[in-house]
Amino acid sequence: MLLSQNALAIRPLNLYPVVYISLLFGILHAVSVSPDESCISFNLTLRNFRLILSWELKNRSIVPTHYALSYTIMSRPAGEMIVEDCINITRSFCDLTDEWDSMTETYVTTVVGIRGNTTLVSCWDRVFPALDTSLEPPEFEIVGFTNHINVIVEFPPVIPKMLVMKNLQTQLSLIIEEKSGSIVKLHRPKIDGNTTGNFTYVIDKLIPNTEYCVSVYLEPKEAEKIRRSPLKCTLLQPGQESAAVFTSTIITLRRIGYICLRNNYPKVLNFRNQSAWVFPELPPLEAVALVEIIHINRKKKVWDYTYDDESDSDNEAVPRASAGGYTMHGLTGLCPASTSSASSEDCFDPDPEEPSLPQPGAESEPLMAPGPGPWQSECTDGAYERTRNLLQDPFPEEDSCSTEGTEDRIIFNVDLNSVCVSTLDDDDPEVPPVLSCIPEETVDLEDAEEMETSLLVAGGEGMQLPFPSPPVECLWPEDAPSEKSDTAESDVDIGDGYIMR
Amino acid sequence: MSVKPDVIRKCLWPACLVGLFITGILSLDCNFLNIHLSRVTWQNLRLLSVMSNSFSIECLRENKAFELPEEILSHTQPVKNDIKEAFYEASIQAFNIFSQYTFRSAWEEKHLKQIQIGLGQQLQYLEQCLEEEEKENEDMKEMEEEGTKHSATMVPRLSHLELRRYFNRIDNFLKEKKYSHCAWEIVRVEIRRCFYLLLKSIALLRRK
Repeated sequence: MLLSQNALAIRPLNLYPVVYISLLFGILHAVSVSPDESCISFNLTLRNFRLILSWELKNRSIVPTHYALSYTIMSRPAGEMIVEDCINITRSFCDLTDEWDSMTETYVTTVVGIRGNTTLVSCWDRVFPALDTSLEPPEFEIVGFTNHINVIVEFPPVIPKMLVMKNLQTQLSLIIEEKSGSIVKLHRPKIDGNTTGNFTYVIDKLIPNTEYCVSVYLEPKEAEKIRRSPLKCTLLQPGQESAAVFTSTIITLRRIGYICLRNNYPKVLNFRNQSAWVFPELPPLEAVALVEIIHINRKKKVWDYTYDDESDSDNEAVPRASAGGYTMHGLTGLCPASTSSASSEDCFDPDPEEPSLPQPGAESEPLMAPGPGPWQSECTDGAYERTRNLLQDPFPEEDSCSTEGTEDRIIFNVDLNSVCVSTLDDDDPEVPPVLSCIPEETVDLEDAEEMETSLLVAGGEGMQLPFPSPPVECLWPEDAPSEKSDTAESDVDIGDGYIMR
Repeated sequence: MSVKPDVIRKCLWPACLVGLFITGILSLDCNFLNIHLSRVTWQNLRLLSVMSNSFSIECLRENKAFELPEEILSHTQPVKNDIKEAFYEASIQAFNIFSQYTFRSAWEEKHLKQIQIGLGQQLQYLEQCLEEEEKENEDMKEMEEEGTKHSATMVPRLSHLELRRYFNRIDNFLKEKKYSHCAWEIVRVEIRRCFYLLLKSIALLRRK
């Protein structure tokens, strides 16, 4: 009986642990389905003024491939809020700058770990940004001067709404630490919701020739939890400002070319890489020729209403005024004895009534009359030889040369560089003479050297053409044409251009 | 018979806490009141954050919006006296609410006691400084006007009434939920939120 009673007593006692254990397993099973608080740790960081929530599962054996984030605000029973930018993400952090707008709230945050279509884990924890946010220092730069330092702090284009209160005042304070040796000073520049971009703060009243270090961090935080930025140091040099001004002035002057003139030579003039030295030919010496001007006095003729060929104006060498205001002198033929018959044919035939022209010396090189002005010369179209002949003999016409000398002579030196040469076209007196010393092709300035060389070759006897720039076109003064017609029949009309030398 | 010792224990303890530090508080300079308020409030914030690890996600079902009057504590130009009086009202109301908490294993007992001590110190400090300001104001008014006495305490300001209503809602919530664990967790989080706003108000005042 006693045994049966004991057996009856023992059975309930044996059942109690069984019941307890079964209940325990049931509870654990229930707990494993619901989110577990202890399976995750959150880390809230303000980095470059962005609110970044990162997490890490405490059980590292569970490795989801994707995560989904949601949260509930404790003082706002509006239900669970899903973060759309953090659904089905592979990263283990989420930018909540635009989601969380209050530091005073407590956010019950849930992270679900997924692999494929299977939910591996669902963890949650409470986040109180006012105390749980790790404030990373902002980016900044320092510029040292003689007695002050510019601290430039980078702010975002828009400060997160969590950090700005309704009155635009910020939840955070910016602290700038100034260290010099063992002395530390704190600067609290005023910032608000409108502080954006590069914010410059000036630390002034500093001692020159002293090293200062600057660090930046954000408040509020307890002293032991402040995350200071790395120190940036600068040594304030005396006269640093003047040196900066001087340097900037030098740079500016150099850029505009006031000093260290630019030498933007063309590449063709760069001889550094050339192995062979090029010895440029010496420029031809300017030849100053001795010119003998023979002035021919002519009687003023009165037209007797006869058309006599003897009164051909071509034979005249009377100085006549051109429309351009120049007084022209005709250079009568100066045919040295050494000249060839061909050249003699080109000589101009002066008026036989006039005194004959003297024979010039063999060495003389008659050329155009220069100078202040008046000249009359002829040049023909065609080859360089004609040009040479022109230079040797300014009268390349068919008329024979007169060897008779004149009593009136003007001898003076002629600088060929100052002489302009023009031609007379006798074929059609109405047509203004075409002026071209150089052959018919238009000569570009770029071919200056070539032309000069060719002319040198044509010079033959060594006479050099010292004109620095070859004539390109022959242009008469513009006021010449109006009077051309007046002298077209009787006089040699002179064109409008000059041959530029 | 066992009721009286319990009542005495409940009332005596807060009274002793306040009395122990009264002499020290009286010697405090009111010019440093803001610094004291900031330091104590920060400490209470940390204590409220670490004193409980038993919050259950099921408690979110009992969540409630208590409508904290944030506009009172975040004026564009907070008046110095308004902030002190708001601190006083919030401190004494929070002190009364925490005094109703029976010590359980859910909260760290030592943390709760530290919170109560800090609130007690804060209350005494505020009372002293507010009384001094009232005396100065009264003296000035007596000199300017005859026969007219105006006491700020006789006409409670609107901000005080808003705060009082706020804490009444919290107290009613606790009673409604029968002082359950989830109700206490929700109240703890809400009072921490109130303290943080008070802290920001003091910080704004110190910047000016």
